[in-house]
Amino acid sequence: MVQIYNDYKDQADFLTVYVREAHPTDEWQMKSNVKDDVCYAQPKTLAQRVAIANDFIKRFNYPIAFGIDDIDNAANDAYSAWPERFYIIDESGRIAYRGGMGPFHYNPDEVRAWLAARYGAVRHDAPTPGSAAPAASLSSPK
Amino acid sequence: MTLFWKWAIGVFLVLLLVVFVLLCKMAGSPKDAYGMLRYALPHMHRGTLKVGDDAPDARLLALDGANHFHIRERTGARPLVVIFGSYT
Repeated sequence: MVQIYNDYKDQADFLTVYVREAHPTDEWQMKSNVKDDVCYAQPKTLAQRVAIANDFIKRFNYPIAFGIDDIDNAANDAYSAWPERFYIIDESGRIAYRGGMGPFHYNPDEVRAWLAARYGAVRHDAPTPGSAAPAASLSSPK
Repeated sequence: MTLFWKWAIGVFLVLLLVVFVLLCKMAGSPKDAYGMLRYALPHMHRGTLKVGDDAPDARLLALDGANHFHIRERTGARPLVVIFGSYT
């Protein structure tokens, strides 16, 4: 996703919204979380969400604007976002693209296609350093 | 218990076992299948938003843990790509 951001940040705005954890240690933790040393309990307070979000930003030097959903999950509920999802909101404030529900239908390529249709395709001859972008969850490179 | 009910219960249990095995295969392990049923499915919703709908607003907290802003404050000038997700 960071690669898409780098390709289109001059044409579109980007906002990451951190929602409730998908695989915390006290719920459905996965082996990959342990392997990647991403082990957090489900935050019970907003301060805990802020701490985890900052850990993520620092670890991946994440460049995209970031907001944290309230502990009542207002943004998550409004957008049916969990565990991960893309939307594009157009200049009139309407939903222009609604991505599928992650992880199975979470598809950054569809976001790229939408942006490419509007602003032109950005082609890369070879993968560039730093293109490992958080995708299936914010943390997993794809 | 009649023979019919014995068969009905037997078939039901076999079907239940098949479903669980399929879930285990899909999720990766029995533990993951349980995690998916217990923790993931209750929170996964397709939602009713569709293309053309007004984008809902919601208040977000900035990374500094002090300042708030609204999603709709970021819309207007250019398209806004919104990426929902978590760390884990």
